[in-house]
Amino acid sequence: MEEFLKQYLDPKFAITFAYLIKIFCIVIPVMISVAYLTYFERRVIGFMQSRIGPNRVGFFGLLQPIADALKLLFKEIILPAKSNNFLFFLAPLLSIAPALAAWAVIPFGFEMVLADINAGLLYVLAMTSIAVYGVIIAGWASNSKYAFLGSLRSAAQIVSYEIAMGFTLVGVLMCANSLNLGEIVMAQQGGISQWYCWPLFPLFIIYFISAVAETNRAPFDVAEGESEIVAGFHVEYSGMAFALFFLAEYANMILVSILAVIMFLGGWMSPFSFIPDGIFWLLVKVAFVLFFFIWFRATFPRYRYDQIMRLGWKVFIPLTLIWIIFIGAMMQTDYAEYFH
Amino acid sequence: MMQFSDYIFYFFSSILILASLKVITANNPVYSALSLVLAFFSAAGIWLLLHAEFLAIALVLVYVGAVMVLFLFVVMMLDINLESLKRGFWSYFPFAILIAGVFIVEIYLVVSDKFFLESQIETFGTSKSNTHSIGNILYTDYLLPFQISAVILLVAIISAIALTMSGHKSHKAIDPKDQIKVKRNDRIRIVKMKSEKR
Amino acid sequence: MDYLYWGDDANRLCGVLPLMKNFIMNIVKSLTLHELLRGMGLTLRYFFSKKITIQYPEQKTPQSPRFRGLLALRRYPNGEERCIACKLCEAVCPAMAITIESEQREDNTRRTTRYDIDLTKCIFCGFCEESCPVDSIVETRQFEYHGEERGDLLYTKEMLLEVGKKYEKQIAKDRKQESKFR
Repeated sequence: MEEFLKQYLDPKFAITFAYLIKIFCIVIPVMISVAYLTYFERRVIGFMQSRIGPNRVGFFGLLQPIADALKLLFKEIILPAKSNNFLFFLAPLLSIAPALAAWAVIPFGFEMVLADINAGLLYVLAMTSIAVYGVIIAGWASNSKYAFLGSLRSAAQIVSYEIAMGFTLVGVLMCANSLNLGEIVMAQQGGISQWYCWPLFPLFIIYFISAVAETNRAPFDVAEGESEIVAGFHVEYSGMAFALFFLAEYANMILVSILAVIMFLGGWMSPFSFIPDGIFWLLVKVAFVLFFFIWFRATFPRYRYDQIMRLGWKVFIPLTLIWIIFIGAMMQTDYAEYFH
Repeated sequence: MMQFSDYIFYFFSSILILASLKVITANNPVYSALSLVLAFFSAAGIWLLLHAEFLAIALVLVYVGAVMVLFLFVVMMLDINLESLKRGFWSYFPFAILIAGVFIVEIYLVVSDKFFLESQIETFGTSKSNTHSIGNILYTDYLLPFQISAVILLVAIISAIALTMSGHKSHKAIDPKDQIKVKRNDRIRIVKMKSEKR
Repeated sequence: MDYLYWGDDANRLCGVLPLMKNFIMNIVKSLTLHELLRGMGLTLRYFFSKKITIQYPEQKTPQSPRFRGLLALRRYPNGEERCIACKLCEAVCPAMAITIESEQREDNTRRTTRYDIDLTKCIFCGFCEESCPVDSIVETRQFEYHGEERGDLLYTKEMLLEVGKKYEKQIAKDRKQESKFR
């Protein structure tokens, strides 16, 4: 693409322009899938509750997300009294920006990646960890006790589950010998048996549950907890400011699912060696993982706050440590090939 | 002629300086903490310019992602009285100037030293991944200091837990085991006393 | 373990073994996420089950003949209005939504000059219908009506009679069907 643009433009400008186009090629599909993830979620949860879900706007209700977006666009943004105006508007931006920035290092196919950096895995972890600022600042700037409680809960929860999540990633990089996401996928070449979800099965489960907690989704949605603290940190937000939180939550959800796929389910690799690889497989696997997110929400009641903390610190962190030591030990034995 | 990366450097460093000034001048402690976050972030940006990607991301991950979150947590919940904090400002001022002067001299000594010559920065080759080379050095040349620091951290963690957990019970629930062991004499005390006259 | 009966050895074994088994089973169950998976199985079964949603404007739930909807005043088949202004409904109305004024007509019968029901007050309890000695005030099956202003829902005598005229067939049928239970 850069070559093509260089025919018409100044070469320096062409590179920047090519990057801009690539960014749009990532951000716009992400936004569209976020919109349709909400539709998918409402339909699936509806089905699990013997209802049919939204089916009025457009064919099978397919225009529902667009109608929702338009509604939110035209709604008024209300500033709570004595809130901190600057931080109140900064918070939604701070939650959406890291959610989108992390997509820069996600490989969608062989060398189909915006920024092929060496420490890709760390970068993604750093980006997901700073997403908590949006929540904290939103809760504090709203000048509302419910919002503040929600943000405190969310901060404690995200900080504790990040540790367990980081340890599971340590297991993956021990197996793959690389922090580069593309190389991690390439190390899982050769069909379904080579995927890391088998040698790292406990870590896979723990990663997945931590990912649910990290994105504040049910059953770990104490930060929102509508039956306890109204809507948690975004209780004072309306209109587009609320929509940004919503977008960030779902973009994060897709992000952690795509990470789960890349690290444990072979990324864009096909499960059987006779079927060609491609981005198609990535999308199918991500949809499959996202279905689990929604399935959890339809099934489990909310965890109590102290139980969440207990699970994170007293169960997940010891379990991941044990499994990492186990892998490290196995790599020194004759069975090392099963762990690479 | 300035390169594009130079512009980025000046951009980040000016934000870094402004944010650090804001940390110590801001009236609201929450603003101070948030400015510190911004300062860390711009420092990470400058490190990225120097190809120290591992350090930059580790800074964001550890300080921005975890330490400052807990910091904010505490600062938001504390009700800090700013008046009492500012009271002794001018009486401490000469002492502060003295310390600042010492600092500036020390920094000058370090920066002007040959330790930070440009040729030596370049020796950490960009061919290998940053993480790889750091790991290599940590686990070969500096293994003992690394392990010792790990042990010190472990001791710190355990002592923190011991300090908070010592003394009182963490919960108020009654143990059924203790309840069924209770004898009559544990609960009842019979007092003999003479009946009083009306 | 302290609540166990620490008698002779045989008894002790009998007490300990099932407990050990339970203990191990609990660990296995919690590590394999057994209960969570069962819950997920339940929701998955419902995912494929028949949906019970009624898609309202096209499909409607069946209505009982006792359905309590929009109020109406009825007339006899000869066109004479039923209401004799006994004001029982006004007295019984718990929401005080009914206002009645009456006077004597030239044929010496008493009739209402005013019969207002404020539907914003009405709670559709059906007491007025039950109290009415001549089956004049009734509740119809009609529930799809609206007012765009507050005044639109203040139904006057003419409006109520109009409603009665419109749905008389259905009303008469429902009263007949329910007559043996009254």
